[in-house]
Amino acid sequence: MKPKADVQPGTLALMVLKTLDVLGALHGYGIAQRIEQISGDLLTLNQGTLYPVLLRLEQEGSIASEWGASENNRKARFYRLTRTGRKQLRAETRDWEQTAAIVGRFFAVKAEDLK
Amino acid sequence: MRTFRRFFRRLVSRATIRQDEERLRAEIEDHIARQTEENVRAGWPPAEARRQAVLKFGPLESMKDTYREQRGLPSVEVLVLDTRHALRRLRRAPAFTLAATLTLVLGMGATTSIFTLVHAILLKSLPVANPSELYRVGRESRCCYLAGYSQDREFSLVSYDLYRYFRDHTDGFSELAAVPSMQLLFGVRRSGSPEAARSYPGEFVSGNYFAMFGIAAYAGRALTATDDRVGAPPVAVMSYRLWQQNYGGDPSVIGSTFHLNDKLFTIVGIAPPGFFGDTLRPTPPDFFLPLNSEPFVESDADLNKYDTHWLNLIGRIGPGATAASVEAQMRVELKQWLRAHWNEMSAAERMKFPEQTLFLSPGGAGITSMREQYQRWLQILMTITGFVLFIVCANVANLMLVRGMERQRQTAVSMALGARASRVVRQPLLESILLSLFGGAAGLAIAYGGTRLILRFAFPSMAGLAGVPISASPSLPVLCFAFVASLATGLAFGIAPACLALRVDPIEALRGANRSTTRAGSLPRKTLVVLQAALSLVLLSAAGLLTVALRSLEHQNLGFQQDGRIVATMNPRLAGYRPDQLSPLYRRIHDSIANLPGVASVALCLYSPAGGGWGSGVWVDGHPDPGPRNENFAAWDRVTAGYFDVIGTPIIRGHDITEQDTAGSRKVAVVSDAFVRKFFRNEDPLGKHFGRTPGEPREFEIVGVARDARYLLSNPGQAPVPFFFLPETQAEYGQSNLGSLFLHDIVILARPGATVPVSTIREAMASVDPGMPLVSIRTMREQVAGQFTQQRLIARLTSFFGILSLLLASIGLYGVTAYNAGRRVSEIGVRMALGADRSQVIRLVLRGAFGLLLFGLLIGLPLTLLAGRFLSSQLYGTSPYNPVVILAGTLVLGVSALVASLLPALRASRVSPLDALRSD
Repeated sequence: MKPKADVQPGTLALMVLKTLDVLGALHGYGIAQRIEQISGDLLTLNQGTLYPVLLRLEQEGSIASEWGASENNRKARFYRLTRTGRKQLRAETRDWEQTAAIVGRFFAVKAEDLK
Repeated sequence: MRTFRRFFRRLVSRATIRQDEERLRAEIEDHIARQTEENVRAGWPPAEARRQAVLKFGPLESMKDTYREQRGLPSVEVLVLDTRHALRRLRRAPAFTLAATLTLVLGMGATTSIFTLVHAILLKSLPVANPSELYRVGRESRCCYLAGYSQDREFSLVSYDLYRYFRDHTDGFSELAAVPSMQLLFGVRRSGSPEAARSYPGEFVSGNYFAMFGIAAYAGRALTATDDRVGAPPVAVMSYRLWQQNYGGDPSVIGSTFHLNDKLFTIVGIAPPGFFGDTLRPTPPDFFLPLNSEPFVESDADLNKYDTHWLNLIGRIGPGATAASVEAQMRVELKQWLRAHWNEMSAAERMKFPEQTLFLSPGGAGITSMREQYQRWLQILMTITGFVLFIVCANVANLMLVRGMERQRQTAVSMALGARASRVVRQPLLESILLSLFGGAAGLAIAYGGTRLILRFAFPSMAGLAGVPISASPSLPVLCFAFVASLATGLAFGIAPACLALRVDPIEALRGANRSTTRAGSLPRKTLVVLQAALSLVLLSAAGLLTVALRSLEHQNLGFQQDGRIVATMNPRLAGYRPDQLSPLYRRIHDSIANLPGVASVALCLYSPAGGGWGSGVWVDGHPDPGPRNENFAAWDRVTAGYFDVIGTPIIRGHDITEQDTAGSRKVAVVSDAFVRKFFRNEDPLGKHFGRTPGEPREFEIVGVARDARYLLSNPGQAPVPFFFLPETQAEYGQSNLGSLFLHDIVILARPGATVPVSTIREAMASVDPGMPLVSIRTMREQVAGQFTQQRLIARLTSFFGILSLLLASIGLYGVTAYNAGRRVSEIGVRMALGADRSQVIRLVLRGAFGLLLFGLLIGLPLTLLAGRFLSSQLYGTSPYNPVVILAGTLVLGVSALVASLLPALRASRVSPLDALRSD
């Protein structure tokens, strides 16, 4: 079994935003499931840590939440992306890709390339 | 933006705290239920499915903590919690809280009260539009009249002609106004009213005065330039205070006519409330009249004399102009104006022409003479209250330290359990800040009362007149000052105890502080007590020095007699008398009062002793004229026959002014000994002649020399001013200073053992002229004492602060001694068990206390000498290094310390060794 990675700080928020962007309104459990599913069980996620992140995103106005009924008529709190959140997601995606690209280039450089 | 939104949401999150907790609980419940269902579907048994779900969710409580921290602002919440905790702790220690708060109230009250005065007198601007644009001419504030075409150091008083020249040529001033440099009294009566005339202060002002200040009338209209023209109908503006107090705000006052010095004026408007004229002074004007009505009101008008300088100038700088450019412009104009009067100038004045200049200074605070007069006093008072506040801080810090010791064990436990240092420090700091804020708030009330009291003492107001325009109620700056001072005080006395709390070694503290022999933390408390003792000594000595100076002022040999003398003050000018009617009037007044039962003799004079003097140059016949740099000033007075007998000053050579000196006889003068010393160094002055103006004959023959007396008390501690006295009957009507003909003091000498009731004096005056107001009747002793009001107030305040600080220092010493004795109970028990007797125990405790006192004295003595030097200008010749005062201060301090430390010493000596050893 491969060793599982810890979640990088700050990336959990991005994952939440992207999940909501793709799947639309979703409850906390659903978001946790989705993240685990996408990461292909590479991440150890204490599902509970999701909730403080959700709270912070909501306080920042990136997501909104409301009570609703889920499939089997259970009351659940649904989160959805707001317009601010969408903007934030775009910005952070760009940032992330840029960072990844830069780090990628450093890894690609070999010693002879520098001569 | 996002950060800000989040901050706001967190800030308001307290309101929804219960709802949020419920929501979180429900969400977690939902989450775990779903996971459990999922696990069941995967084939787990239900119990294991739930266990696995909870495991997957992770540590619940830690997550809740994070969640809560994210939700609110923990620092704010903890602060609120800590504050509540501090309040609860203070409530649970009522004795400590009361003692600390009371101490703080005294300190804050004293400081705030003095600051109220400092703010009103030294810092505040006039209540007018944009006071920062105002500039006045002159750096010093001068009074009254200056004659001629040169002024020493700077030209600051101007004549009306020079004012107009400046006003019309200085375009840097958008408005330039003029007001006389001295205050006038007017005899006032409403037309058609049967009441007698009463005197009120008033002011002649240039027509643009109100426009320059940018203030409109409260009702009616303000004076304008058209009112201030030759031949304009006489109008006046009344103060809001007089309008309210005497006429109940009656609108019909506006437009009605009033007799001012028996001349008819129409009141056209009411000045706004709170406007006290151009100068902060104890008696703000109640009437504003146009300058051009001065010749109409005063028989000895100065308005049209080119070379009589009596006006102060204050103006508003126009847009684009700077004070420096205006000053330069006005200097040129001054020279131009003087050039135009070259022919009238004396040789000496022509010589001084090149150095004539003027200065502008900021006028936002008005033409302030009070500022200069009180600045030094207020500085001294502020320093003293600073000391008192310091002692207060030390005292409360001591109390806090004792509390900190008691709490040591608790602090140790919290630190052992991992409390953060910042929170351990914060708790005592919060307590002290809370205490000082209480103290500051309550101190405001004390300050209000204190300021009122000080104002009453410092500026005793005459009945019916406005008092000094200083409000005792705290203004916004005073409130800010009190708040900041409280906060600073709280920090000052809270920091040491707070830091000390940190130095606690948990293990040591938990082991039981009572057993330890180390005196950890007692050094700061001892230091504080030493400082308190030192400062108390300084304050006590300062109080002693000022009191000694006051006593020597009051009991100095003034050169005239105070007992049995009454001074009645009148003002014939206010009843509309002309100069040529005055001599017969004085004769009638003299006779009617001299006939009263109990009166031995009466004399009238321009100025009674301690009342002032008129100034003049002196040219002695047969002496060379004084050079331009030689000062030939003397003060003079106009008196009726027998004056020196009435005031009790002996004539040492020649004779007094007598009834034989009449308008027709040769002109005579009596001079003072100081006058002889100044002008007749090695000559016999009797029979010599002198004059008051260089060009005219030296007409006054000296017929008597009176012993020196202090006719002027405004410069105590300095040599007596040379004086000469002229008979009232030989008045010169053509002379330039007609004003000196209006005698205003009546000195009455009672027969030994007899009293002259005030009512009979009033009746006698009324029988002469019912329309002439008597301004005041008081004994000579009161008149003299009235000259030392300021000194007395300062001496009393300093004594009060000295006693206060002594009390605080004693309490501090008591606290430290009692605490130390308490901590040494078991040690004392051991000593007694080993055979020490009570007196040895008492000595043990006292030794500690007096050691501290000795240190305090060692530090205090040099400080006291420094303080003496600081005060020396206010001691009027008494020595600032008065060993008796310092010794007395030391003794008082020693006795208080003995009392303060004897109580705990006695208590310690009564300890039963058995109890003491059992107590732990």
